[in-house]
Amino acid sequence: MISPVKIWRNQKKIQKILGLEGKILSWTKIYVPPAGFESQAPYVVAIVGLAKGRNYCAQLVEWEEKHLITGQKVKSVLRRTKDPGTEGVIPYGVKFKPI
Amino acid sequence: MKVEILAGSVSKFGELWDVSPRDLVKGVVLEALFETRLKTGEIEAVYIGNMLSSSLGGQDHLGAFFSEVLGLNVPAMKVEGACASGGLAVHAGILAVTSGLYKNVLVVGIEKMTDHKPEEVAKALMGAGSDEEREAGATFPGLYAMIARAYMKKYGVSEEDLASVAVKNHYHASLNSHAQFRFPVTIEQVMKSSVVSSPLKLLDCSPISDGAAAVILGQGSGVRGQGSVNIIASAVATDSLGVADRSDLTSLQSTVLAAKKAYWQAGIKPSQIDVAEVHDCFTIAEIIAMDDLGFFPRGKSAQFIRRKKTTLGFGYPVVNTSGGLKAAGHPVGATGVKQIVEIYRQLKGVAGKKQVKNAKIGLTHNVGGSGATAVIHILKSDK
Repeated sequence: MISPVKIWRNQKKIQKILGLEGKILSWTKIYVPPAGFESQAPYVVAIVGLAKGRNYCAQLVEWEEKHLITGQKVKSVLRRTKDPGTEGVIPYGVKFKPI
Repeated sequence: MKVEILAGSVSKFGELWDVSPRDLVKGVVLEALFETRLKTGEIEAVYIGNMLSSSLGGQDHLGAFFSEVLGLNVPAMKVEGACASGGLAVHAGILAVTSGLYKNVLVVGIEKMTDHKPEEVAKALMGAGSDEEREAGATFPGLYAMIARAYMKKYGVSEEDLASVAVKNHYHASLNSHAQFRFPVTIEQVMKSSVVSSPLKLLDCSPISDGAAAVILGQGSGVRGQGSVNIIASAVATDSLGVADRSDLTSLQSTVLAAKKAYWQAGIKPSQIDVAEVHDCFTIAEIIAMDDLGFFPRGKSAQFIRRKKTTLGFGYPVVNTSGGLKAAGHPVGATGVKQIVEIYRQLKGVAGKKQVKNAKIGLTHNVGGSGATAVIHILKSDK
């Protein structure tokens, strides 16, 4: 289970990353997921170069095959991340959607 | 720097459901002690390379755990650096000997992974990554897949080029009685294997394995006759945990920095290395390692590997004679120690069917995470 305190601490970091635009630097489609992500596989994870600041690694959402190219423009959004199990707090985090 | 390797042993790697971590370690240590003719009581300190005993095994007191197994009461501790845990344990053992505090030091690498289902192992291994990567649902195949895609685009490398690394390492493993996969594969078989994380396929990836390895380090004991093997460089460098925090996805800065230090310590050039064990957790990792270690011009390594320049019997340096992580298996904490044992045996001339002719200088390259830690050792034969 993810600690609710850890989720609370992470919120400050997440706020700073939301609504930013960037470009896909590299991506992969994951078919063999880690525990907590089984129901989402296959899913796409990308490294995105943000227009302002650093690179960020997150999942891609609302994508079509034509978006899976280096240089694709994306924007950061808030989405549910992993399966919290039966008792955990639902965790939200940064993902990217093509624009 | 000069630390003598008095003995080295490796267990069978693979799905060892009937063998416990205790028995794995006992087996390799007794074999190593037999080789040195030292008594157990002459071991003065123990360093254990291990990553997952805590997250998968629920065991957090590994120094004492294995001391008990071996009947020792000496200082014993776990050294952890993800998949570089074994290499770091060897580094710690070298520090212990060169400090003069301990004469004979035992270094053990051990991992027990196949008792757990793949999703649990993938999650535990992501302990080596960053918070951000875990939140994304990234896996190690996923992180290296993104590194691979960036590298392939930059240098015009194909999926078949990646596959040629697996073909070479499976061929070497077919000559290694301790390897997990003792069979050759073809480029076509690699290309047809199921996708784990695009563009990496099952046969681009090292497996989940159980296994252990041990070395005994000392200083000029002269226990054995026929030419000693010494570690003449031991270098470590670190980098950001997360791949996204690095300016270049196509090189591991930690390897470049550690290699520079190691070559300086040993006073040699990359061209003098006869045989090397490099960290091929994925096929792309061996290609980038060959660039970063200075064996081939940057971006050209895939071509040289495909032309068999690093295959046994074709050219030098011969790379991953054990079969590498890819085909010998990758019990993560054991890997860095196993690499040392393989090069030790090559330089002693006792590597059997996979023996590299006239091998005098060898190198090991052990990486933690997606490049956050790199450990490099250079070994030299006195012959």
